Amino acid sequence: MKIEVEKKDNIKIIRLIGDLDGTSAPEVREEIISHINDNSKLVFDMSQCEYISSAGLRVLLIIAKKLKAKGGQGVLAGLVEEVKDVMEITGFDHMLTSYESIDTAINSL
Amino acid sequence: MERVDNYPTHEYQGLKLRRGHPLPFGATLVPDGGVNFSIFSKHAEDCELVLFEKGAKEPFAVIPFPDEFRIGDVYTMIVFDLDYENIEYGYRMDGPYDPQRGHLFNKEKILLDPYAKAIGGREVWGEEPDYSDDFQHRGRIVDHDFDWQGERPLEKDMEDLVIYEAHVRGLTKHPSSDVKHPGTFASIREKIPYLKELGVNCIELLPIFEFDEFEHSRISPETGERLMNYWGYSAVGFFAPKAGYAATGKYGMEVDELKNLIKELHENGIEVILDVVFNHTAEGNERGPYISYKGIDNKTYYLLTPQGYYYNFSGCGNTLNCNHPVVRNMILDCLRYWASEYHIDGFRFDLASILSRDQNGHPIPNPPIIETLAEDPILGNCKLIAEAWDAAGLYQVGSFPSGSRWAEWNGEYRDAVRKFIKGNGDVAGEIVQRIEGSPDIYGERGPTASINFITCHDGFTLKDLVSYNHKHNKANGENNFDGTNNNNSWNCGVEGETDDPQIQQLRTKQMKNAITILLLSRGVPMILSGDEFANTQFGNNNAYCQDNEISWLDWDLLEENDNIFNYFKSMIEFRKQHPVLRTDHFDTDYNRTGYPEISWHGLNLWEFDPSASTLTMAVLFAEPNDKYDTESDQFIYAAINMHWEMHGYELPNLPRSKEWHLVANTGMEQPEDIWSAGNEPKIDSQDEVLVGPRSIILLVAK
Repeated sequence: MKIEVEKKDNIKIIRLIGDLDGTSAPEVREEIISHINDNSKLVFDMSQCEYISSAGLRVLLIIAKKLKAKGGQGVLAGLVEEVKDVMEITGFDHMLTSYESIDTAINSL
Repeated sequence: MERVDNYPTHEYQGLKLRRGHPLPFGATLVPDGGVNFSIFSKHAEDCELVLFEKGAKEPFAVIPFPDEFRIGDVYTMIVFDLDYENIEYGYRMDGPYDPQRGHLFNKEKILLDPYAKAIGGREVWGEEPDYSDDFQHRGRIVDHDFDWQGERPLEKDMEDLVIYEAHVRGLTKHPSSDVKHPGTFASIREKIPYLKELGVNCIELLPIFEFDEFEHSRISPETGERLMNYWGYSAVGFFAPKAGYAATGKYGMEVDELKNLIKELHENGIEVILDVVFNHTAEGNERGPYISYKGIDNKTYYLLTPQGYYYNFSGCGNTLNCNHPVVRNMILDCLRYWASEYHIDGFRFDLASILSRDQNGHPIPNPPIIETLAEDPILGNCKLIAEAWDAAGLYQVGSFPSGSRWAEWNGEYRDAVRKFIKGNGDVAGEIVQRIEGSPDIYGERGPTASINFITCHDGFTLKDLVSYNHKHNKANGENNFDGTNNNNSWNCGVEGETDDPQIQQLRTKQMKNAITILLLSRGVPMILSGDEFANTQFGNNNAYCQDNEISWLDWDLLEENDNIFNYFKSMIEFRKQHPVLRTDHFDTDYNRTGYPEISWHGLNLWEFDPSASTLTMAVLFAEPNDKYDTESDQFIYAAINMHWEMHGYELPNLPRSKEWHLVANTGMEQPEDIWSAGNEPKIDSQDEVLVGPRSIILLVAK
């Protein structure tokens, strides 16, 4: 999995490219946590992430909790249908609000 | 804090290892990327851990347990740096092959961990297995964390339950179900609003432990369709949910999917009871496959004859050795796991009487496993329900051991109500007992020991009970020999479907009579899913192998039979409004209202002879507000006329301020069959009520 980070004003857009699974999860977790400071605003661009495994979902959940603890905000954008469906079925959809596009996600923060 | 013992001490073919922790059994994630494996075998002489990449036929590693990794009869090791999401594991055990002494070790067989928390190999329902693969049911390692967001088991009082028995796949597989992922845990979520509207507050799921839907799979000579192990009363593993029941099973996320379903059911006030099958396993008899237990420690896990053959008290080839301390602990671990990890509210034990047999197969008075479960702290508030018989003739309804902690499926209730509704007046006296909560059977335990039901998955649906005199099981491919002949059913004049409006009307009335009696009875009512809209199995009373329209609920019938749905719903609502029907005691004596709490009447008041054969009887409930915390004193009167002619019933006198109002008349058609609270019309004559043939009139005093 590749991670790209772009800064737009005070918002960081984090692009996850590839599969978020047990192999990539630890690295994604480390990398993203390094971007979390007090009151961070993060948008996760998920449009190029085709698959999230159980371990991957747990990374997102941990990130959501860390953000909350630090008074930050995080939202998901552009989830592919299958990933969105899996998140809803397994109950991981409550952890971060999800938006169709990056722009609406940015505007929400 | 970092542990000082969390580093490898051994290496085997590049894999880093150390001695593991014997408890918990199974495969458990440990900090710093290790997996702790632990498995019991008393009689094995050697054990190997076999690791596969997901779905691979050949293992990538076979690791022998060094003897120093064994403690007692437990083999244990930690393997580091495993990509735990993408591996499957099993064991190979070496030991004696001596069937007469009960040992069947075969070191070639790759065996499933009895404690596997997820099992691969059948993760998409009905997908043809690759039988050239030696390892069919493959242990997987799962995350145990789940964000319950504060949710916990509901712990409803037993007497308040209205149980809805359902098959995960059958509930939503039919195209008429209108759900996104038919036949899965996920789709049950979509039916939650429906369940709430109906008013049930507990769903009892037919087995959801991993089973092999292809076990005994064959083509029906009658229909040409493939017959499956559809009900799933045959566990492969007791700790893993059936992956093929999960829309996300293909991603190995069945655990999260099921937990999320349970969480949402709980959030909507619906408890979850699992139908659990500890009487046998999917390994069958001497000719059955090696899946797990047989190859790990046959003599420990199964009841064996002195010659080493399997006892068959289950009717399914083998019998689990439930009162062996190791097996007993496994069952306890299993139930604790489901109660604590999945927030399950209760368990219904299939053929539970097997649990009361000792290691030689003899029934014992105080079986350790029954007592252990009854007294277990973690299961302290779980409902425990026994199917109190087994397939070898042990019948314990009313005498299931260990007292008040256990409820039972009340088979006597089913039989008596069926007989009475079809017109057998000889059971009138028994009906009194059944409606009162079966004090004759559960005198010391209270009515909450009685799970009252008229239909369940095993037997006719309610619609079929009033549409068929005989079972029609040819599609099962056993020449109609399978399934019970003791149906106590009546077809109302024609066998099966008919256009005759009179017969249709009579059937509808009979279904309403049945549900009225069920929901007026003390005890815990259980409804078979689909009965509320007259679902049919076309006369099949044993649909265990029918993965098709025979067993799938046809939701189009909901629209067609909206009147029946409405009747069920309103009766459930009525029950909820009247605590006198939902007691944990058998009180029938005079109470503060000046009336007996329950009194029985004939066509004339106070004239009912419980020893006589009759089809006309009436019951009066007197519900004092101080005792039951209702707004005012309530009186409920039901005139039950199962005779084929109309009869006039003398009505009880009421306190001066009250008058009789009509709640239900099963002889009428919608919308005059049932009235919601507050809308009940006053009846014209307060002295007598005319009850049509085979009808029940239910009144309430206001």
